[in-house]
Amino acid sequence: MSQADQPPVDAVGMIGIAKSFGGVAALEHVDFSVRKGEIHALLGGNGAGKSTVLKMLSGVHKPDKGEIWINGVKLEEHTPEAARRLGIAMIFQEMSLIPSLTVAQNIFLTREPKSAIGMLDDRTGLKEARILLEKIGVDLDPRRRVDNLSAGQRQLTEIAKALSQQASVLIMDEPTSTLSSAEIEHLFGFLDRLKKSHASIIYVSHRMEEIRRIADRVTVIRNGRNVMTKAVAETTLETIVEEIVGRRVGAFERKARTAKLGAEVLRCVNVTAKPRPLEANLTVRAGEIVGIAGLMGSGRTSLAKSVFGLQPVVSGEIRLKEKAVKISSPPDAVEAGIAMIPEDRLTQGLVLQHSVADNMTLPVIDRNSKLGFVQEEKEKALVADYIKQLRVKTASPQKAVRTLSGGNAQKVVLAKWLATDPLLLILDEPTAGVDIGSKTEIVEIVREFADQGRGVLVISSEPAELLALSDRILVMAGGRVVREISSAEIESWAAKATDTAHRISLMETGLQVAIQEANS
Amino acid sequence: MNAKSEIIPAKSESFISRMKEEWRQYVIYLGFIVIFIFFSLTLSDKGFLDPNNLLNIVRQTTMIAVMAVAMTFVLSSGEIDLAIGATAGLVSVTTAMSLAKFGLIGGIIGGLLSGLVVGLINGLLTTRVGIPSFLVTLAMMGIARGTAMWVSNTAAIPILDKTYYFTFGSGNIGPVPILLIWALVIAVIGHIALRKTTFGRKVLATGGSETAARFTGIKTHNIKLQVLIISSVAAAIAGMLYAGRLRSGRFQLGEGDELSVIAAAVLGGTSLFGGFGSVVGSIVGALMIGLINNGLILMGLEFSQQLIARGVIIILAVMVARSRR
Repeated sequence: MSQADQPPVDAVGMIGIAKSFGGVAALEHVDFSVRKGEIHALLGGNGAGKSTVLKMLSGVHKPDKGEIWINGVKLEEHTPEAARRLGIAMIFQEMSLIPSLTVAQNIFLTREPKSAIGMLDDRTGLKEARILLEKIGVDLDPRRRVDNLSAGQRQLTEIAKALSQQASVLIMDEPTSTLSSAEIEHLFGFLDRLKKSHASIIYVSHRMEEIRRIADRVTVIRNGRNVMTKAVAETTLETIVEEIVGRRVGAFERKARTAKLGAEVLRCVNVTAKPRPLEANLTVRAGEIVGIAGLMGSGRTSLAKSVFGLQPVVSGEIRLKEKAVKISSPPDAVEAGIAMIPEDRLTQGLVLQHSVADNMTLPVIDRNSKLGFVQEEKEKALVADYIKQLRVKTASPQKAVRTLSGGNAQKVVLAKWLATDPLLLILDEPTAGVDIGSKTEIVEIVREFADQGRGVLVISSEPAELLALSDRILVMAGGRVVREISSAEIESWAAKATDTAHRISLMETGLQVAIQEANS
Repeated sequence: MNAKSEIIPAKSESFISRMKEEWRQYVIYLGFIVIFIFFSLTLSDKGFLDPNNLLNIVRQTTMIAVMAVAMTFVLSSGEIDLAIGATAGLVSVTTAMSLAKFGLIGGIIGGLLSGLVVGLINGLLTTRVGIPSFLVTLAMMGIARGTAMWVSNTAAIPILDKTYYFTFGSGNIGPVPILLIWALVIAVIGHIALRKTTFGRKVLATGGSETAARFTGIKTHNIKLQVLIISSVAAAIAGMLYAGRLRSGRFQLGEGDELSVIAAAVLGGTSLFGGFGSVVGSIVGALMIGLINNGLILMGLEFSQQLIARGVIIILAVMVARSRR
């Protein structure tokens, strides 16, 4: 058979992929194909297996079962280099460019054109970069240094770098999260032109309107399986969200809270900072858990940062217990009675090299001391108490925190703050990277904490977690708080539920749709 | 709730497996003993074990030890102080001058005050202006040494006050040199401050992860300011001890000490990158450097050879202390 008779080869063909980590199946059976010259959206909730699929394709992980074909060639050697040679390029969210080098120098990094005697030939590099940028239609001066570029320009540089290495399949994970709306338009125009030159793009995003706008087909991954592949034109937002959510098992049940709400703890009045939030308003009362939902870049985390003194408030007011306060650094915030469990617990929440005990007692050392001397007996009792109460799994309190699992490390961060008795506890993605058992435990700990009359503000990109924790949920978009969802409204979504799992799924779908609506 | 989670019983770790993990912390003590035995065997005929020689080692090591105690805090907090040697020289001069003018108390106050001022400048430039301490103290090294040369006209300033030079360096109480008492007192204070006080805990947390420490409410800038002041005041005390021992203030005193002090702290297990520190380790590290210097002199090596041998031994020791992980 001559080649012309064969059907056109797919850019990517993943067949029957399975993968488990330490006995836990991340992917059970995934079939995923991308045609040449198409933009294919890959969707799924947190932990559904999306990133495992992408890591498999880019050669980071080796599948336990199944085959990966790239442009008609089977990927035999599962290394990033091999995948790159076959044309796969991952466009990183946190850009892999060297800020102090120019666009041209970055594009040709480690493959720099050299002169006859082996010296770097920057002039040829510049010329080649200019030709490349022109060919792919990017209007950018290759002599500019990367640290002077906008986020969108950096991304285009990154793409140019990939294309210069003969990439034919680009993987883009949340590419618009750091871009302005003008830059997003520009990127979309660019991607449209790119696909006409038969490059394929795998596009991961939580923003449904982007997917509708730019993707040709969509595949949804749930619980390690591909549950849907359809042309975008033939489906609806509701169908896609339902497929993403699926039917949940009852790990995150929403239970009604009966605690009485006390006085107002926190009030944000038109809080504005650069670049976000914009005129954000919210209140948290004693005993109340308020959730903040929104897409990446909606200003959720920025709002928390403003309250905690991590970014200056440009205008508006933050009131604690009905008194206006000025908080300009985290120590100020802690002194005022605010505790924050940060998104990045590894660098912000813990001193990783230090022991479980030292980390737990750090915020209360002044309280557990006399004349500047640490009272070790008191500390020991406190540590033993929290290890038991929060079920922290550690061989000994003296073990370095870095030896703990994600869930246990997060419990140590929680323990740090429970002892300090803060007015307000802010949690940013409290169960990200945490196993399911610890997740439910952490939800329980936070609820008990609020029951004791403290205010809690939770930020999460996992709808199930927000629904399990929050009394009310605020939806943010474009830096503003655009919608408030009451407990009654959340319950109303699940009015037709037949059982617990169905109830959770209906609520999750309701919240996802609310977030999407807020963004359109 | 998931009922499956439970507390894993604390495993009783065997002594051997614990030693395997922590032997690096103790390797400095082992090294000290090995080098001591080596010199005892090879240099016994040259009077290495003579009590006078051993006390000499102590006398020569005291200033390094005093500064190494403070350096333990500086390195633990994630900073560095390169100006200590020059500060010691400057303080020896200012002490001698204020002794001549204002008498004993005035002299002591003058010396400590000049150390305090240097530390305050280092600390404020590092924490308030945001220049890395490496650069601030590198510049201060020149400024302090230059000031010392300038105010003393590069001449030695004699100290005639007997009480002063007895207390600060030259005296003995019975057979015990007063310098040994200084070193012991400062070592004990430093050890307790690092291990038993909230200040020490905050220093270690600041160096371990400044971001996490700030999120926890620690005013890390203040901690770093305090630590840099402590370092300069310790350098001032070392300078006053130099002055007492030599009965004069000279701008050259303490020259190059910053390197011996940093080497002593690192040999003793203090991390150059912050978060870990041991005052006892630093003291033993200082003694080890003193021991090596003394042994090499007794071996009859020339100064040039001593420098090379000392450098090689320090590199070997740090390599052993860091090998495995």
